[in-house]
Amino acid sequence: MRRTLAIGLAALLAAETLGAQGAPEIRARLIARGAPKSLADQVQKVVSAARRERLPTDPLADKALEGWAKRASPDRVLVAVRELHTRLGQARIAAAQAGLKPPPGGVVTAAAQALGRGMTAEDVRHLIQAAHGSRNAAAGLMVASSLAAQGFAHGVAAQAVEQTYQNGGTTSDVLELPSVTASLLARGLSRPDVGERILEGRPFRLDDSEVGSENGAVNRRALGRAADVPPGARGRSTSNPSTGRRTGP
Amino acid sequence: MSSRNEWSHETQAYFDGERAAAEPPPRERPGADRLLRGVTAYAASIHAPGAELDDRIMARVRERGRARAHPSMWRWLVAPQSVRVRPVVLALAASLVFLVWWRDRTAELPSAPQLAATPTVLVRFELLAPRASSVTLAGSFNEWGTEGMPLTPSATPGLWAVTVPLPVGEHEYLFLVDGAKWMADPSAQAQVDDGFGRTNSVIVVGPRGVVRS
Repeated sequence: MRRTLAIGLAALLAAETLGAQGAPEIRARLIARGAPKSLADQVQKVVSAARRERLPTDPLADKALEGWAKRASPDRVLVAVRELHTRLGQARIAAAQAGLKPPPGGVVTAAAQALGRGMTAEDVRHLIQAAHGSRNAAAGLMVASSLAAQGFAHGVAAQAVEQTYQNGGTTSDVLELPSVTASLLARGLSRPDVGERILEGRPFRLDDSEVGSENGAVNRRALGRAADVPPGARGRSTSNPSTGRRTGP
Repeated sequence: MSSRNEWSHETQAYFDGERAAAEPPPRERPGADRLLRGVTAYAASIHAPGAELDDRIMARVRERGRARAHPSMWRWLVAPQSVRVRPVVLALAASLVFLVWWRDRTAELPSAPQLAATPTVLVRFELLAPRASSVTLAGSFNEWGTEGMPLTPSATPGLWAVTVPLPVGEHEYLFLVDGAKWMADPSAQAQVDDGFGRTNSVIVVGPRGVVRS
């Protein structure tokens, strides 16, 4: 009996050691960047608690590193990390209620982000159910919260994603929505107009009357569907990176 | 005080209780009687041990037995042992190791979903900052590191630029100007509260890239 207990104990210790080797240590990373040990310890506690609750921990680590990079006070960093921890927990519950059991980390992260941008748990559940699959759900939540951040009403943002999926759109189409809407807004269209276009399933085309004639050709190429533009004119890779001109001081 | 050797044999026999057999010599008799009376009085003053002594002794014995239990286990643990293990027990232990390891692996949920078959897209960032002496890009894609992604001056005066590979998905970022001033991207797709009193710029990268604005 004593021998069996000793073997079991050794096995557990070995397993825990193996498990700990794969876990990123936010404490060490914060200290390496000059953060006080007290902050690093507190953040590590939050991350460890999240790990026990089966929540994704990368967003928590990122938030702590972000706060420290911006030289926010340790108290403020800790508050931000704890708030995110709470949102991740709420997001996990909402995702589980929508039928994802267990919810993938990417969906939980995207749902927490959506909740942080003012979307409700009901919005989150609805989007997940409409997305049919965790990959679509993560992309849909991400895009809906980005559209909300652009100033679109939450209902419109959620509906835009759902509509795109219902119209046979792919995850790639959904992921393109934020940059398309940003372009339309930059071209001078109002949010209601852009929202209407998305809900009608025609967000990617502009009529000549809607854009300045001098930029019409450029806009058409930028905003046309992937199938409408010549190969190499857009898309990923070095041949066509994003070249949105950023202006500043 | 007299030493024992000063008593005669008869007196010593008297002390031993052999009074009938021996009588001390007259000169020793008073001293011997005095000594015997003193010894008898002293013996009478001593409390005879009762049954509680046995109880106390046994309690101490049991206590010592308990105290030695741990050292005994420790000795067993540190001493070389010949361990015989049933293969089924070994298999169960190995299964336990795997299960705990697997549980920890799955508990560490990846936060970035795999959204595309080709997960990385090259994205160009630009900032017009004529008076800046250095500009770097920091964001959720590089753990907000402030040194790894410097922008370089482009052909257009005052324009800084860098092209970086980004995973498909949403990213928050800022520019760090002259190593001290955080600046949002004025032409970003969106700006969001960062939780630290500033705003972060947002970019959503699709598998087909980012639409020009």
